[in-house]
This record gives sequence, structure tokens and C-alpha cells, in this order.
Amino acid sequence: MNSPGTSFGWVEVVLTILKILLIVGFCLNFSAIAVWADRRQSAMIQHRVGPNRAVVNVPSFIIQGILTAPGILLGALAALGLGQALTPQAAIERMGVSLQLIVFVAWFNLVLLSWRVSRKGALNAFEAAVGSNLPRAYFYAGLAGHVVVALVSVAVARQVSAGQIASDKAYLAARVASVVLGGLMGASGVYAAMRIPKGPVGIRLAGTLHGIADALKMMFKEDFIPKNADRLLHALGPMIALFPALVVMAVVPFGEQLCFQDVNKNGSFEFAELLRVKGAMARDAVCEGHSVPLQIVDMNVGILYIFAISSTGVIGAAIAGWASDNKFSLLGGLRAASQMVSYEVAMGLSLMGVLLIYSSLRFTPMVSWQNMYAWGIFVQPIAFFMFLAASMAENKRVPFDQPEGESEIVAGYFVEYSGFKFGMFMAGEYVEIFTGAAIMVTLFFGGYTMPFLFADGIDVTIGETTFFAYKMNHLAVTVIQALAFFGKSVFLSWVIIFFRWTLPRFRYDQVMRFGWTKLLPLAIGNLAVTAVAVVAIDAAGPGLHSTLKLLGQLSHALVAGAMLVLPVGLVWLFLRPVESTRFLRSSSARFAAAAGGVKPTPMQA
Amino acid sequence: MSTDTENTPWMKPRSGDFTTKKVERPTRDFEVQSYLPAVTKGLVQTMGAFFKNTKEMILGQKKDPVIESLSWGITTISYPEEKRPYTDRFRGLHRLTIRDDGSPRCVACLCCSTACPAQCIHIEAGEYSEGDPRRGYERYPAKFVIDELRCIFCGFCVEACPCDAIRMDTGLHAVPYDSREQFIYGKDLLMGMTGRDGSRLTENPRHEPGDPDHPGIDRERAH
Repeated sequence: MNSPGTSFGWVEVVLTILKILLIVGFCLNFSAIAVWADRRQSAMIQHRVGPNRAVVNVPSFIIQGILTAPGILLGALAALGLGQALTPQAAIERMGVSLQLIVFVAWFNLVLLSWRVSRKGALNAFEAAVGSNLPRAYFYAGLAGHVVVALVSVAVARQVSAGQIASDKAYLAARVASVVLGGLMGASGVYAAMRIPKGPVGIRLAGTLHGIADALKMMFKEDFIPKNADRLLHALGPMIALFPALVVMAVVPFGEQLCFQDVNKNGSFEFAELLRVKGAMARDAVCEGHSVPLQIVDMNVGILYIFAISSTGVIGAAIAGWASDNKFSLLGGLRAASQMVSYEVAMGLSLMGVLLIYSSLRFTPMVSWQNMYAWGIFVQPIAFFMFLAASMAENKRVPFDQPEGESEIVAGYFVEYSGFKFGMFMAGEYVEIFTGAAIMVTLFFGGYTMPFLFADGIDVTIGETTFFAYKMNHLAVTVIQALAFFGKSVFLSWVIIFFRWTLPRFRYDQVMRFGWTKLLPLAIGNLAVTAVAVVAIDAAGPGLHSTLKLLGQLSHALVAGAMLVLPVGLVWLFLRPVESTRFLRSSSARFAAAAGGVKPTPMQA
Repeated sequence: MSTDTENTPWMKPRSGDFTTKKVERPTRDFEVQSYLPAVTKGLVQTMGAFFKNTKEMILGQKKDPVIESLSWGITTISYPEEKRPYTDRFRGLHRLTIRDDGSPRCVACLCCSTACPAQCIHIEAGEYSEGDPRRGYERYPAKFVIDELRCIFCGFCVEACPCDAIRMDTGLHAVPYDSREQFIYGKDLLMGMTGRDGSRLTENPRHEPGDPDHPGIDRERAH
């Protein structure tokens, strides 16, 4: 929204349309990919191969181009930056980043090459030498390299700022590092392209093409409408189901703001000023130029808007169940309606405690509160689990998917839907997963913020001690924030999808009893306790406040540590050697072992 | 009751007194009632399987689906990229073996079509022309047709054949065609198929009439 002094301008309109396109496009694409992720999870935990049949045959020269071009482009970019005039500090920074990237590119390529050699054999002596070590050896060497390079960069930066190393040497080091990085990227791209065999290469992308295939199939399928169905309501049902899922995202912020300079000082926002992003922002500073909030609408009722809109989703399911002229549909629609209305209450009340603490209904203040003190999950863990349960019941996902319980009522309210109308229900369900995850991230997982990342850069301060501080410019911080928001939301959606493959479905009476007799009293109790605690803490002295602040910073440190350790742990798990023992338990296994196991054969028509 | 029921042969003999076994009701303690610990355990289980299987898929460390079919992990055969090895006795599509001169070993005795329970073999016998040493001694198949859709792959034709002329050792199984006519295999196609060793011959020796090692009677050394 505009600040009161500025007049209405076309730039705001264009930016709003761009934001809407970004959110809607992301949600719809996400729903297709989430369907794939759902199937992939199901396959992996049930020991099946999963979706991997869809294949596109691409000529090898295109693959070679895809492999070569980014390497050469990035290499050229790294080399082009040589001509710029740099301060000594910037030169040291560039050297540090280039060295880290060199180490990363080196170990990543060596891991890939070594793995490739172990599967397909070496083409020359160099590859044989690379393949003689296991991939994980390169990974651990690379990890050590990252640490060494970081230590060296910090030491050199100290020396330069103390004046013990001349600044022209720093320029030289930065240039050499850039050239080496560019050369390494280009060379690895070209070498990878050389390894591609001639002829078409089948691209499967781990089965993601199935999403495209499914969408195409749904578009071309017959749109069947039962003879006695209400044609208008039958068509309206899926639209009403998909619409609120998308519209809810309008008030969820995916970044704090983008601040543009007011170049001509006239207060009106012009297209030319879009290129002039503010260089650096002070912490807690108000944007003096044109501020673009990174959310579609910054509404003062925020969370109430979400409750209002998301509760209209029930109409879609109920209408679809009624209009289909099918008893199972009707039962499914009734179940959906009663379940969603019931959990609406618990969902709203479970958040009241959080809202008391944040003392705002808008999302941006909630997020900045969490960045200042602690993430909501540490402040109100019970509220998080209640909201998680209630939002999954709202979404009709497992374990609350009685409205579509196939063992009882076939598929519930969308029995009579086919083609793209069914696709809209399906997309709506997966979009709702993402929006639910986005709301949870905003309320409980710090929204778009990262621990210790502020508007002016990284500042690791616990208590009164500052362990690490690093200034960053405004654009970099904003990009990291947006990536953090989408990354956290996608990760949480992944976890929510995982519940489907873990939990069995509740019985219908259990669902209703859980909602009314467990969740609702618990939410009210949580609200009461929180209210007392908030009043008590407000009345308490500064000693308690500083202790709480320290605890909050420790929770940030915990999260930051987990964010650093988890990826390394995942790679460690990935590269761990596989242990297997063979028991030839059956005569067919003994025969197959003698015949050399399963035979790989070329694909036949 | 009287004791004579104990000795009836259809009843299990009673051994001692009955003892009751107390079955514990499932406990509904806090851990079970609060649901979350069990959910966490379940998530650890499924996510462990997910990551382990994903890793083995991506890194190509999948178990061999036949040799290690009973072990933990994905043991699905990704047909047709992977195939189960067939045993040496696998009965695949038929082939007609040939003699050294390229003519079929078949003598059109109709043993196979008689033995065939599915009646899928059709043979029309032809006489060799006048002057051929085989004339009068044996005939040849002017037509030899197998309907591979009717065939039940029992192998009786192979067992019935006195000349080792029909074999099922091609190692091929029925091919998905798009019309029924394509499943009707004629003589030329059957003769063109090779065994799993790549040969169209067989290892069993064939003694032509007139060979010195020919064991039986023939026109020259006749009665």
C-alpha cells in the first residue's frame, strides 16, 4: 500500500500484478510438483521404484549445450568483474567468495565424476585416478577445504585492514581467484559435455515429468457430468474449492520490503526508479524512498482475513457433494462440511495465544517480533501442534480425510468429477498444503527471517557478546529473506505430505470428538495460560526481560546450528557406504546368482 | 459327562485341566493418549525408509531384485530395462530347427499337432519330388503354422517330435503385437528363429538317407 504522501502510480499497479503472478504461478506449479513428491514419498517408504516412466528424448547436442553454457557464462561473469574498481575490503571479500566457490566447484565435480566412473568405468587415466577414491573422500576433503579457506580469508582480511598487506596485493589475489574460478567452471562444463554419448539422451528428471503428463491427461479427458446433476453447481464446486486456497496467500508476506531510492525527489514512483534499489539499510530504519512491501496486500486485519476466506472452502466441497446427484458424494460433502466447520473454531482459538504475544493481527509485525525475540514454535509449541492438527483437518488431509475415505464412500464429494474439474480439486488440495505451511511458517517459524539476519546484515549477538558481524546490502538481504520464506514453506509442506504416508485415517466419530472435546478445551486453556503469562511478564522487572531475551537468542542459535548441521548430516547420510548381506534363500535366487543377477537390457519399443 | 466322549477318534484328547490365560488390555497411558510420541516414531520410521531408499535409487546401490529379493529395500524389477534371467529350460517361442542344407528337419509326421492340447499347430505335408532320395522315405512340411495366441507353452510338441525339429529354446516370450494376424507364425519365420546359443541347428546328429551311418532302412538298402 502507498504511504499517505505518495500519489497513485502505475508502477504500484504493475508491481502488484507481478506479485500476484509470482504467488499464483508458484502455488499452481507447486501443486503439480507436490503431487509428484507425494507419489515419490509413497514409493520410497513402501520400497517401490515410483514414478519414473515418463521420458523425453533430447538430442545430445542440447544436453551438451545445457552443460556447457552455464559453466562458460558463469566463468565469463567471474572474469568480467576484473575491470571494476574495488576498495581493498571489497577485493578481499571477492577473493574469499571466489575461493569458497572454487572449493565447492572442485569437490562437487570430483564427487560427481568419481561416482560416474564407479558406475560407467573410466575413459582415461585422469578419470581412473579420480575414480580410485570414493566420492565421500572428496566431500570430506571439500568440507575441510571450506573451513581452511574461511580461516585464511578472515586472517588475510585482518592483515589488510591492519595495513600489513598492501592493497594492490589484495586486488591481485581477488583477480587471480576470479580467473581460476571462471576457468574451473568453464572447464568442468566442457568436460561434462564431452562425456555425453552421441544420440538422443532420455531425460526423466526423477519422474517430475509425470506431473506434466498428468496435467495434459486431465485437460484432454472427458468432462463427465451425471445426468441428473445440477450443471451450474457441479461446475461451480471445484472453482469455489480452488479459489480460497489461492486467495489466502494475498496477505502472507514473502519478504519484508524492497526499498527503492527516490531519485527525482518528487515523491512519485516512476519506472526508471525500479533499477535504483537502495544500497544499504540501517537496522530498523524506515524506508525513505519508495517502499514496496513483499506481500500482495498488507491488510490490518491480516489473520482474520485468512480465517474468513479459508472458511469459504467448505462451500466448494458441500456444493460439489450436493450437485453430483450421488449418495456417496452427498455423504462426503456432509462429512467435509461438518468437519471443516468444527475445526474452524479450534483453529481460530489455537492462534489466540500467539496473537496475544505478538499483539498484532498483521503478519509483518509478527515476523519482526519473532526475529527480535524467538520463533513462535519456541514461544507457543502447544499452539503450533494444535494449529497443525486443525489446519490438516481443514485441508481434509490424512489422518483427517474421512470426506474422501475410499474404503467407505469411494472418493467422497468428488466421485462424479473427472477431467480438469477433478484436477482443480486436486490442485486446490495441494495449494492448500502450501498456503497452510506458509501461514505456519509465518506464525511459528519466523516467516521470511533467518536467525541473526537483520536488515543490515548478519549479526550473531548472544547476550552482550558479538560473535560474528557482517554487513550486507539491502538487495542481498531481501533475496535471502524471500528464498528463506519459500524454502521453509516448501520444507514444511514436504513434512505435511509425509504425514499421509505415516498416519492411518481416524474414524469419523474420533475426528469430531477430537475437535470438540480435546482441541477446543486445550485451545481455550492455552489462551488462558498465555494471557496470564503475558500480563505477568509485562509486569515483571527488567531482569526477567533480559533473561527471556537471552533465551530467545539461544533459540536462534539453536536454529542456526541446526540449519548448518542438517545439510552436512544429510550429505553424510547420502555418502555413507551401503552394507548388504546376500542370502540366497530360494532356488530361483541361486539360479539368478549363477546367471549374474538381473540383466540390464536396452529399452525396447 | 461320561468319559466315553474323550476316546472318540475325531476329538483331540484332553490333556490335564484347563488353564486360563489372562490377556492384558492395552494400556492407555499418557504416551498413547497424547498421540504425538507415536506419530514421531512413525515419522522417524517412514523418513528413514524414504532417505535410505532415495539414496540407494540415486546412487545406483539398489539391491539385485532377484538375488536379494527378500532383503530390505526396493526389489522391483524395472521391466523392460531389467529382466529376470530365464532358466535353461524356459519354454519360449517355438523355432523349427534346420538341417545342414537349410531345409527343415521336420518330416511332417503330425506328431506335434496331434499332441498339442491347444490345437495351435497346423501342418500341411508335401511329398518330395520324383528322384529325391528322401521321396517315399519322409515328407516335408509344405505349410507349418503355429498360432502363438492359442499356444499354452506346455512343451508337448517338443516332447512329441521324433526328429528334434521343433524346439522352444529361443528364450523369447510372446511379443506384444497390435493385430491377431501377426501372432500366426509361418514356416519361414519359425525357421528363421535361433536358439539361445544363436544357432538355427541342433546338436543332435541327423542321418540323411544314403549316409553310411544311417541306422534305418532306406530305398537303396531296402528290404
